[in-house]
Amino acid sequence: MAQNNVSPWIENAAEAPVEMSARIRLARNIRHIPFPHMVRDGDALDEVLEKLGAAFDEYQKVSMNMLKFEDKALLVEKHLISPLFTRQGLHSYINEEESVSIMVNEEDHIRIQTMGAGIPIQDLYREAEAIDESLEDVVDYAFDENFGYLTACPTNVGTGMRASIMLHLPALTLGRKIERLSGNLNRFGFTLRGIYGEGSVPLGQIYQLSNQLTLGQTEEEIIQNLDELKSQIIEEELEMRSRLQSEHLLEVKDSVHRSYGILKHAYKMSLKEAAKCLSDVKLGIDLGVLEQKNFKFQKWIQLIQPAFLKMRLNEQHKHYTSLEQAVDEERATLMRELSGGK
Amino acid sequence: MKCESCNVREATIHITKGSGLDKSEKFLCEQCANASFESDFSYPDDSFNIHQLLKSLSQQQSMHQQQGKQKECETCGSTIDTIVKNGKFGCPDCYTTFDRQVPEIIARVQAHQTEHIGKVPKKSRSQIKVKKQIETLKMKLSELIESQEFEEAAVIRDEIRELEKAGGMDGAE
Repeated sequence: MAQNNVSPWIENAAEAPVEMSARIRLARNIRHIPFPHMVRDGDALDEVLEKLGAAFDEYQKVSMNMLKFEDKALLVEKHLISPLFTRQGLHSYINEEESVSIMVNEEDHIRIQTMGAGIPIQDLYREAEAIDESLEDVVDYAFDENFGYLTACPTNVGTGMRASIMLHLPALTLGRKIERLSGNLNRFGFTLRGIYGEGSVPLGQIYQLSNQLTLGQTEEEIIQNLDELKSQIIEEELEMRSRLQSEHLLEVKDSVHRSYGILKHAYKMSLKEAAKCLSDVKLGIDLGVLEQKNFKFQKWIQLIQPAFLKMRLNEQHKHYTSLEQAVDEERATLMRELSGGK
Repeated sequence: MKCESCNVREATIHITKGSGLDKSEKFLCEQCANASFESDFSYPDDSFNIHQLLKSLSQQQSMHQQQGKQKECETCGSTIDTIVKNGKFGCPDCYTTFDRQVPEIIARVQAHQTEHIGKVPKKSRSQIKVKKQIETLKMKLSELIESQEFEEAAVIRDEIRELEKAGGMDGAE
């Protein structure tokens, strides 16, 4: 079972303004075997699984039928598995850094996922590709000369690749530029949407930029386009930030320090509030209006998620009458501890 | 306490959504809690315009029905009906079984792209190469026959046969 802490790669991720982590996902299927939603018992995959197990013996094998609800939720919050996988997944193979996860029986037979922060997304692709090639030695992929890698859903056919980059975009959100931006991106076959939660302002003002199309372009082209769009969005965000700073410095300072005050002194906090405060503080640090050493946006955004906090509560053997209240209280306690409050 | 959703099993999980005025609480059994799981975490990787796909599929289907019985995939038993219902193909072989509808479906969800130009698996790389070689040789063969160079044509013909045998052309791809 994966550790109850944040993943090592998140723990060690360097803090940068705007750009957070990146992810590559490859969807692969085995020839002549029905896709997971058509198979009830997974028997057809038995032989394949055996081969996979041998190929990934240095990885940790996490079996869904061995996990409790809370453990699965934690893996979802770490992005090591998907919500769909918690219901129909068989095994996931996870490396020590928790930056690689190979899911068997998600929407497709095999989903290879590599994650990282502060490293070029090209490198993440190469890492996924290497795993892909080693898998190819043990299984026969479903591949069509014209349509490429065959997938359960036609939206993944071709490269089977989804490349995504997480971006912190508080200034563009504040300036209501996201909608126009994502409309423009759609025309190039890319999407920009909130990573946590739905609604107009996503949790922590964190967005995921990813390719929508998987056919008609090479993997390298998709990644290169994604990288270029990313740079453009970062540039726009930074421009918006400097406008904020020059035209609304007092307001910015006020909201940053208010949020910092809440993190340091509150006794109960909803997920939404905590995420907003962290986002404000991160912006304040990036703009130089607040100094906070050891602030780790990516890590803390994970730590305030419900499954993480429930794990903490369980570890302390705390008794409570309402779980939700206990979680909100624990969230505030953790934030006080981390931000140097009392 | 019984599960609020199914009223049958014992509630073992307490789910809360939202905060403040938007707060809602539920006591559920594990099955029902799992079923409500997806809405708790947004995982935007694979969302797509399912209506677009279904629309194109049902149009194809009505075209097909006019021509008679529903086709069934030999490997997984899928029909266009079940594919519409699931919004997914049943198995990799569905792509061949429903070869009349597939290009249209793919073109719609992939913004009119129809051809994969990315990575090719190692195993298919050689197969595709052999296929291309055979095509070239066949062209050469008909040229030779036309110019009545039968001796050389026979050599080429044998070469083609050899490649077809070695290439393991099992008709699957």
